[in-house]
Amino acid sequence: MKRIFIDAEKCDGCMSCTLACMNAHRKDAEGESIYTLDLTDPENQSRNFIKKNPKGGYIPLFCRHCDDPDCANACMSGALKKDLTTGLVKYDKEKCAGCYMCVMNCRYGIPQPDASLHYMVKCDFCEGKDGPSCVKACPKEAIYVKEV
Amino acid sequence: MAKYIIIGVGPAGIMAAERIRAMESNAEITMISADEHVHSRCMLHKYLGHERDVKGINFVPEDFFERNQIRWVKGEKVTRVNPEEKTVEMECQAVLPYDKLLIATGAAFFIPPIEHFREASNVYGFRDFSDAEAMDRAVEGKKRVFIVGSGLVGLDAASALCERGYEVSIAEMAPRVMPLQTDEYAASVYQKAFENAGCKFYLGIGVTGSKVNENGEINSILLSDGTEVPCDVVLVAAGVRPKVDFLEGSGIKIGRGIEVNEYLETSIPDIYAAGDVNGLSGVWPDAMDQGKTAAMNMCGVKVEYEKPYPFKNTSNFFGITMLSIGKIDPVDEDAEVKVVFDRGTYKKAIVKEDRLQAILIQGDISNTGIYLKLIKDQIPLKGKDVFKLSFADFYGIDERTGAFSYQV
Repeated sequence: MKRIFIDAEKCDGCMSCTLACMNAHRKDAEGESIYTLDLTDPENQSRNFIKKNPKGGYIPLFCRHCDDPDCANACMSGALKKDLTTGLVKYDKEKCAGCYMCVMNCRYGIPQPDASLHYMVKCDFCEGKDGPSCVKACPKEAIYVKEV
Repeated sequence: MAKYIIIGVGPAGIMAAERIRAMESNAEITMISADEHVHSRCMLHKYLGHERDVKGINFVPEDFFERNQIRWVKGEKVTRVNPEEKTVEMECQAVLPYDKLLIATGAAFFIPPIEHFREASNVYGFRDFSDAEAMDRAVEGKKRVFIVGSGLVGLDAASALCERGYEVSIAEMAPRVMPLQTDEYAASVYQKAFENAGCKFYLGIGVTGSKVNENGEINSILLSDGTEVPCDVVLVAAGVRPKVDFLEGSGIKIGRGIEVNEYLETSIPDIYAAGDVNGLSGVWPDAMDQGKTAAMNMCGVKVEYEKPYPFKNTSNFFGITMLSIGKIDPVDEDAEVKVVFDRGTYKKAIVKEDRLQAILIQGDISNTGIYLKLIKDQIPLKGKDVFKLSFADFYGIDERTGAFSYQV
């Protein structure tokens, strides 16, 4: 499977990845330029997070699509499932009942409720596009895709 | 070819079956359930609220049994387990042999011994799909529903019924709603939301009796403060008991639930128990985890079951989300209580000796998964502001696999 690797030392905290994620999942006009992205719309959520490193610098937090995923292990609707072929933890919005056990159970704190509070959001690896948008947007190669 | 029998198709049973199949492609796996439909009990209110049909509350793909080559005997109760012959007997008189048996029958609702409650024809529980189905039929053409208990199950049912326009009354012994998960403030927020939707609460009040009509139906509930509340249907959400009645005479040791060792094996070799039936925890993720762990042990891979942390839950009523981990109320005398209101979100943490004991967040619960880990493993907070913590404060990454780990 592929995973987004993180080299925190290289991260400048520019948040290009965060914007790219928001833009990749924006509800309106997919494929539009990032300059038309409405940053104030709560529905344009980022699935990745850049946190300040308490020791200085930044720490990019990205979904691991874990081998033994806490989120899917908590899912009572069958919406979250580890896909053994691609290795991705996939999300089926139709099934999701918005109980948020996944939010509680992910020890890394990655999943979040969506703005409507009916669904959850987390990284989908930009499936259907040629690789994760966040990685493409990183000017520092602080995040990169690697086969594991 | 080893024969595996799993009793129950809840989260523990299903996860166990899936895991056994993954580990042994040749194994003969049989699942037996009284349930006719695989369903998530956490979504029963969606059925009762007419938001989803029975297929919509299934938590496995429709072809789960075919794809995993599992024989599923549905709508059938196991009446006896014979450890000496290694067989189980079913209500239809059929006898099936096993090499390894997993009991994952879960729990059943409990009707307290209140006058008429156990024999009246309009008293329901809310645990399995059949309960939700019965309840759905019972409220047809009726108006007033009385719910005993304001825990998650009671409120789930209440929210569904409110949205369908029923007059719902709820009695709760504790002085606030969802007493295990809330404090006074968070409870009041939920209470208001339910009241706005048309619910009426009787808090800090017990049900002392009831009156029945000539058809043997309860038509009013008597409360400890002398109030009499008329009703058409009664729903009891006052706790559950492990489903173990069919094990009588089997020799399997039963305490609060079926007693199990660290491998989830019962007092009798080759018989395992996972999920609510063993009384270790009553929450969904733990049942799934136990199912998997039991399956591995049944397949001969010894895996110790990590003790669960059962005091955890999330809720989502009327667009108000809440996360509650640990015992939020009452608070130990020597513990520190921290409270903040942050842009419409209420947060309360109980900290003792630099370790988080409990947390309650009502409002924005994004990225709060770290708290379960911090509480469960009693990880030192190093004096940091508990509400500003993220995984970045404990960040560790495996350079080879890219997996995260906690550095404490």
